[in-house]
Amino acid sequence: MRVAFVGKGGAGKSSLAGTFARVLAAAGEQVLVLDSDPMPGLALSLGVPSVDTGLPDDAVEEYQEGGRRRYRLRSGLTGQGAVEQYAVAGPDGVRFLQLGKARGPRWDNSRPHWAFQRVLDDLPGDDWSIVGDLPGGTRQPFMTWGRYARTYLVVVEPTPASLLSGRRLARLAASRGTPQVLAVANKMRQPDDPDRVAAGTGLDVLGAVPFDPAVAEADRQGRALLDAEPAAPAVAAVRSLVEALRSREAPS
Amino acid sequence: MKIAVVGKGGSGKTTTAAVLARTYARRGHETLALDCDTNPNLGISLGLGEDATEALVTVRDALDAGEEEHASSADDLVERFGATAPDGVRLAVVSAIQNPEPGCP
Ligand SMILES: Nc1ncnc2c1ncn2[C@@H]1O[C@H](COP(=O)(O)OP(=O)(O)OP(=O)(O)O)[C@@H](O)[C@H]1O
Ligand SMILES: Nc1ncnc2c1ncn2[C@@H]1O[C@H](COP(=O)(O)OP(=O)(O)O)[C@@H](O)[C@H]1O
Ligand SMILES: [Mg+2]
Ligand SMILES: [Mg+2]
Repeated sequence: MRVAFVGKGGAGKSSLAGTFARVLAAAGEQVLVLDSDPMPGLALSLGVPSVDTGLPDDAVEEYQEGGRRRYRLRSGLTGQGAVEQYAVAGPDGVRFLQLGKARGPRWDNSRPHWAFQRVLDDLPGDDWSIVGDLPGGTRQPFMTWGRYARTYLVVVEPTPASLLSGRRLARLAASRGTPQVLAVANKMRQPDDPDRVAAGTGLDVLGAVPFDPAVAEADRQGRALLDAEPAAPAVAAVRSLVEALRSREAPS
Repeated sequence: MKIAVVGKGGSGKTTTAAVLARTYARRGHETLALDCDTNPNLGISLGLGEDATEALVTVRDALDAGEEEHASSADDLVERFGATAPDGVRLAVVSAIQNPEPGCP
């Protein structure tokens, strides 16, 4: 499975992605979890001690092509090797790779950015399941960050602003001929909320996750939902999401 | 007075900005609300309504489309490409992402 979570800030991308990845890994898959949000929050919801690792600048080397500066993995480094060397091991066997935090307004992220892309480009196709948490909002590069994905899951709350963001993301994805784009209806409070999400975004809804105080409480404690409250309704809903996507994402 | 509201995604920037803007407007200040988010939805929090918010021609789009002389003043831009929200708050959207072009991250 290769999934990227997108959506408005606060919609629940990190909470759901972290839980989703753990559920996959616990089922025996080799899972690489990617945090490409420069304001990372995924480590906490995954249950990885808050790290600030990212790929080192020297994971890539510069070269010139047609007078332009380009980057490739440094000689001898493969995507698989980079994951083994730099990704942090987390609970249930997940491997966690972070783009790295924004380091001030003048932070030059071009090297970690390219390293991130090159590692993903070089990862063998089907050995890994990939679960990514993309930056919030509709900022241009979400397609760049999410190139690895076979499925975009647009996380949407049943509010006008969130629906508007979901609609924009659906449009952006469609204009790029992205593989599969589905909505996840999060923080549902009323029975007709998933229908509102379907109507408001024009997307198929993969599944719905109820508004669950256990999510907020795990967040407040800085713990993974799966560790804090494994029997929470939101966990059950994420398990259903995993199952639903299994039958949707064409095996390659 | 010029106030910029910043913070993490989902932390309440838009909600706070909208309440601030309407509060100042109610107290009689002439208030301009600038939505600088590339995924703009300040109109919704201001009470402008979903459709009006989505329809707002962004200042930059209008400039790019050549519908506007580049020499025009800021006041003129806000006048032409803004909308008036409840309590008389004037809202302008700075830019929105319409096409996924490869760009800097
Ligand atoms: N004090 C509060 N109490 C309860 N809910 C709140 C509060 N402040 C904001 N919210 C809710 O949190 C959500 C996110 O708020 P808002 O859209 O203002 O955040 P934002 O920082 O502008 O997010 P983004 O980065 O996506 O633009 C909304 O659903 C809003 O209603
Ligand atoms: N299903 C849910 N029920 C209740 N609260 C939720 C749910 N999903 C997310 N939240 C809360 O919403 C907030 C934003 O979630 P987060 O995963 O950080 O969003 P994002 O990564 O999209 O910005 C957090 O406070 C989280 O606890
Ligand atoms: Mg997040
Ligand atoms: Mg906002």
